[in-house]
Amino acid sequence: MKKIEAIIKPFKLDDVKESLNDIGIQGMTITEVKGYGRQKGHKEIYRGAEYVVDFVPKIKIEIIVDDGRAEEVVTSICKASNTGKIGDGKIFVMPVDEAIRVRTGERGSDAL
Amino acid sequence: MSESNMELKVKSGLSAGLINKKEALVKRFVQGNAPDFLESCTMLLDDYFQEVIAGSVAARKMAFSRSPVTLVALGGYGRGEQCVHSDVDLLILFEKKVPASTEELVKEILYPLWDARLETGYAVRTIKECLSMAWEEFDILTTMLDARFICGSSPVFFQLMEKFRNRLSRKYVQTSLNRLIEQSRKRYEDYGDSTYLLEPNLKSGHGGLRDYHTILWYARIISDIKSRRDLERYGFLSHDEFATLEGSLGFIWHIRNILHHITGRKCDQLHFEHQNEVAHRLGFKGRDTHRVVEEFMGDLHSRMDFIKQINIMLTEDIQLSKKARFFTSLQKPTQYEGIVIRERRLDFESMERVPGEPELLLKIFVESGRLQKPISIEARRIVGEFAYLVDDTFRKNPSNVEAFEKILSTSLWEFNVLNVMLSTGLLVRFIPEFGAILNKIQYNQYHLFPVDKHSIRCVQVINSFKGKKIDPAHEFYATVYREIKGRKLLLMAALLHDIGKGDPEREHSLRGAEITRKIMTRSGYGRAEVEETVSLVRLHLFLIKTATRRDISDEETAIFCAGKIQKIGLLRKLYLLTVADSMATGPKAWNDWSQALLRELFLKTAEIIKNRDVATLKTSRIIEKKREDVMLLADSLMEKQLMGKKNRGIWGKGADRDAQDHNHGHINGYTHDLDGAVWNRESLLKILDSLNHRYLLYASPQEIMEHLELYRNLKEKGGDFLWIVTSEKGSDIRTVTICGIDRPGFYSKIAGVFFLNGLNILGSQAYSLIDNWALDIFKVMPPKDRLFENEKWEKAERQLHQAIKDDSFLDRLKDRVPAVITTVFGQSDMPNRVQIDNEASSFFTVVEVFTHDFPGLLFVITDNLYRLGLDVRVAMVSTKIDQVVDVFYVRYADNGKIDDPEDGIRIRDSILDALPSVKNVLK
Repeated sequence: MKKIEAIIKPFKLDDVKESLNDIGIQGMTITEVKGYGRQKGHKEIYRGAEYVVDFVPKIKIEIIVDDGRAEEVVTSICKASNTGKIGDGKIFVMPVDEAIRVRTGERGSDAL
Repeated sequence: MSESNMELKVKSGLSAGLINKKEALVKRFVQGNAPDFLESCTMLLDDYFQEVIAGSVAARKMAFSRSPVTLVALGGYGRGEQCVHSDVDLLILFEKKVPASTEELVKEILYPLWDARLETGYAVRTIKECLSMAWEEFDILTTMLDARFICGSSPVFFQLMEKFRNRLSRKYVQTSLNRLIEQSRKRYEDYGDSTYLLEPNLKSGHGGLRDYHTILWYARIISDIKSRRDLERYGFLSHDEFATLEGSLGFIWHIRNILHHITGRKCDQLHFEHQNEVAHRLGFKGRDTHRVVEEFMGDLHSRMDFIKQINIMLTEDIQLSKKARFFTSLQKPTQYEGIVIRERRLDFESMERVPGEPELLLKIFVESGRLQKPISIEARRIVGEFAYLVDDTFRKNPSNVEAFEKILSTSLWEFNVLNVMLSTGLLVRFIPEFGAILNKIQYNQYHLFPVDKHSIRCVQVINSFKGKKIDPAHEFYATVYREIKGRKLLLMAALLHDIGKGDPEREHSLRGAEITRKIMTRSGYGRAEVEETVSLVRLHLFLIKTATRRDISDEETAIFCAGKIQKIGLLRKLYLLTVADSMATGPKAWNDWSQALLRELFLKTAEIIKNRDVATLKTSRIIEKKREDVMLLADSLMEKQLMGKKNRGIWGKGADRDAQDHNHGHINGYTHDLDGAVWNRESLLKILDSLNHRYLLYASPQEIMEHLELYRNLKEKGGDFLWIVTSEKGSDIRTVTICGIDRPGFYSKIAGVFFLNGLNILGSQAYSLIDNWALDIFKVMPPKDRLFENEKWEKAERQLHQAIKDDSFLDRLKDRVPAVITTVFGQSDMPNRVQIDNEASSFFTVVEVFTHDFPGLLFVITDNLYRLGLDVRVAMVSTKIDQVVDVFYVRYADNGKIDDPEDGIRIRDSILDALPSVKNVLK
C-alpha cells in the first residue's frame, strides 16, 4: 500500500476530487494547511506598511491506495491541479505498512 | 440470614422504592402532571437518605461513639433543583474525625444508588477539611454556598455553616467574587453564548442555568440569602426582574428535563436532532417543522438572553465599587429629558410621556449604548407595549435615523443593546423587513446562529474593530477600519446583509440588495450612501467566494475583483464586512486559513485599484504575457495566411474573420479593400509596447488583434476614423468598434450620430489606444429596418464625418431629448444624481451619472462634458432595465483633474440641468 499526500492550491480541490472520483477513488482526507516551498512568503504593501504573507494557504489531500494504483492517482492529481504557475503544489508517495478498519478489524487492502 | 445481609436487603428495598417513586414522578412529568418536578425529585432523594440513615447500623454506631454523621446536599441537589438525570452531590460530614465505620456507611447509602445507576458523587469530610478546601478549590466553595442539611446531626451542620460564613465575610468576599467572574469568563469561552447558538448548552453557556447559579452565588457570598426568592427580598433583583427570571428558569428546567428524558442521560446541549421533539412536547405546534422549531428556539433564546442580561448587570455590580452595590431610590438624569437612571437601570421618567414623545423609545437605547447601562425590565415592557407608535413617519424622521445609527455603533460584545432592542420588538418595528429573518434558523453545519442574531453579531464584530484593546490578530482590521469613511453605512450593511434570507425563493444577496435599497431610501440616505450600502449587501459573498474559488496568486483574479468593486473605499468596507460576516458565522466559516486567503485577496485587489494606471511589476508581467499571446496569435494567423489566400489581407477580410471566430458575422466591411499586406513582426511588437496598460489588462488577445487590424487599416487608408460593425451569432446586438483620431468631442459625436439614427446604445467602452488614437467599442441595438441595414450604417458613417468637421452639426439633436422621463409603477423614481470622485484615480476625475434610460442619454452627458472642456478618456456605460450607471474618467484637455470643488459643482449641475427630470406616472 502507498500513501499519497498532495499539497495543492485551495481552489483546485474540486477539480482534484472530481478527477479522483472519475478513476474510482472515493476516500480521502482533506486538511486546510499553510506553508511555503520555493514559492516562499511574500510581502504585500498596504498604506506604506508591509504585511508579510509568510505561509501560503494550501489544501492537503491524503489517500491510501494499493501499490498498483499509486501511479494512476498521482497522474490524476497532477493533471487536475496543474495551472502551470508557481505554487501549484507537490505530491509525495510513501509506503504504508498496515491499514486496519476499526469496526471490523479487517487488515491490509480490505481495510481501504 | 445474618443481620447485615438482612439490612442490605432492606436498604435495597429502600432504593428500589426510590427508583419506583422517581419513575412514577418522571411518568407524571411526561404526562404534564408534575409542575414541581424539581422539588418533588429533591424530596424523594431526601426521603430516601433520611430513611437509610434512620435504619443504618453504622450510623447508630457512629452516634454511640460521639461522632454522629451528617448528610448534606450540595450543588443542584442542595439548591433543590434536581432534574431527571442530574447528579446527586452528597457530603458526608463529621465534626472532628472520620470514624472507621464510614466505609460501611457509604456501602449502605450509596451502593444501592450506584446499582440503580443514579449518578451520585460524595465526599467524606470533617468541618476543618471542608473549610480549608473551600478556599483552595473554587468549585468546593460554590458547592458549600449551596449546602443544605438533609439529616443526621444538625448542630454539626450549623457549626460548619457558621464558621464558613464567618471566614467568608471576614476574609474572602472580594477574592471569591473575583474568582466567580473569572470562572464565568472561562465558561463562556468553552461553551459560547447560548442566547445565540443554534445548539445551545442549557447549563453552561452564557444565558444558561449556570448564569443563574452565578447570580445566586454572588448574592450568597455577599449576604447570607437562603432561597431564590431572597434575590428579590434582599434587593438584588427588582420584582419584575425576579418574576421574569422565575419564568425563564422554569422554561429552561422544563426543557432540560425533557432532554434528559429523551436522551436517557444527563445531556445539557440542545442538539438539532432533539429540538423538534422538545418543541412538540412543550406544546409548540404547527405543520411546518422548521417554523415550529424556529419559534421554540426563538422563545428559548429570548429567555436565555434575559438570564444573560441579569447576569451581566450583576457582574457589573460586582465590578462597581461596594457603595453602589445596593439599590438606592435616587434618580439620576441622563442627556435626554424623559429618561432617567433609577436603581442603576435606565428607565422612562414616566410611562405617560411615551405616547406623546415616541422618540423616547429609541433614545433609551441610545443612552443604554452610550452609558453601557442596562434598561430596566419595566422599561423594556413599556418599549414593547408602545412599539406600535413607530410608523413610517417615525422611521423617516432624520433624528430617529440618527439615533438608530448611534445604537448601531454602540452595540458591543460585552453589552448588546441591539439585542435588547430586538427582544423588545422595537428593532422589527423600526425596520419591519427585519421581521422576515427573525429566529430564522439555517439548517447546516456552518451556521451556529439564527439569521437575526447572526446579523447583530456581525454589527458587534465591526464595532470591535474600533475597540481600544485590539487583539493582535485584529490589528489589521483595525487599520483598515480607521481608514474607512461612512462607517454607519458599513454598520447598516452588516445589519442588513442577510435580510434577503427571509425569502427562500431568491438568491439572498440580490434580494437583500433590493430590500436594503428600500430601507435606506426610506431612511432618507443620499443616493451615494444608498448605492454603497446596496453594493455592500449585494457583494457580501463576492470576496470570500473569489478567495476560495479562484487562484488568488493569479493577478487576473485581483483584476477581476478590482473591476467589479472599482473603488478602494467600497473594497475596504466589503473586506471588513466579509471578515465580520465570517467571524459572526462560527468557527467553521472563520479560521486562520480562510483569514489568510481573504487578506491576500484584499491586499492584491487594493493594489490593483490604487495603481490602476501605473504599471506595477506584477501587472507588467501580465501585460507581458498578453503581448506574447498576441504575438503567438499573429504568428498562427500569418501561417494560415501564407498557406492559403496569398493575395488577401489576413486580418482585413470578412471571410477570414469568420474563419477565425465563428461567433462573429460581418455586417459591413470597410476593411475589405486591402492590399494583402501582412503585419511586420517588429512593427507589431513596437505597437504592442506602446499600448495603454489598462487596455492591455482588460482586453483579450483576440480582441487586441482585431483592434490592431482596424488601427492598421485606418493608418493605411487615412481619414478621421474607421469602424467595423459585427453581430454576435444568436444575438440581436451589434458591436461597433471604432478607431479614430482622439480629438475632443469624438466620443460624444459618435454617441450623437447613433442617437440621430435611432440606434439605441446599450453599453460602451472607451480607450486611448496609441499616441493620439482612440478606440471606442459600442454595443448597440440594430436599426429597425433590417433590409437596408448596411445602407443605414453607411449613412451613419457619413454623418459622423460631417459631425467631426462641423461642431454644430449635431446641435439640432438637443430638441429631440425628452424633457421629462416618466416611470411607471414598479420602477424606481429616484432623481438623477451625478457624483464627482477625485480619489479613484490619480490621473482622472471620475464622473458617475445615475439616471434613467432615455433616447440620447449618452450623447447628452458626453456632449455636456465636451462643451465643458473635458476629455472623456475612459467610459463605462451600462444599462440595466431602468437604472443607468455611467462612469466617465475625464480630465481637462490641458491634462488636469477637476481639482477645484466649485468646478466640480458646476459640472455636476450642468449635467443635471441637461438631463430630463424624472416623474412617476402614479404620483
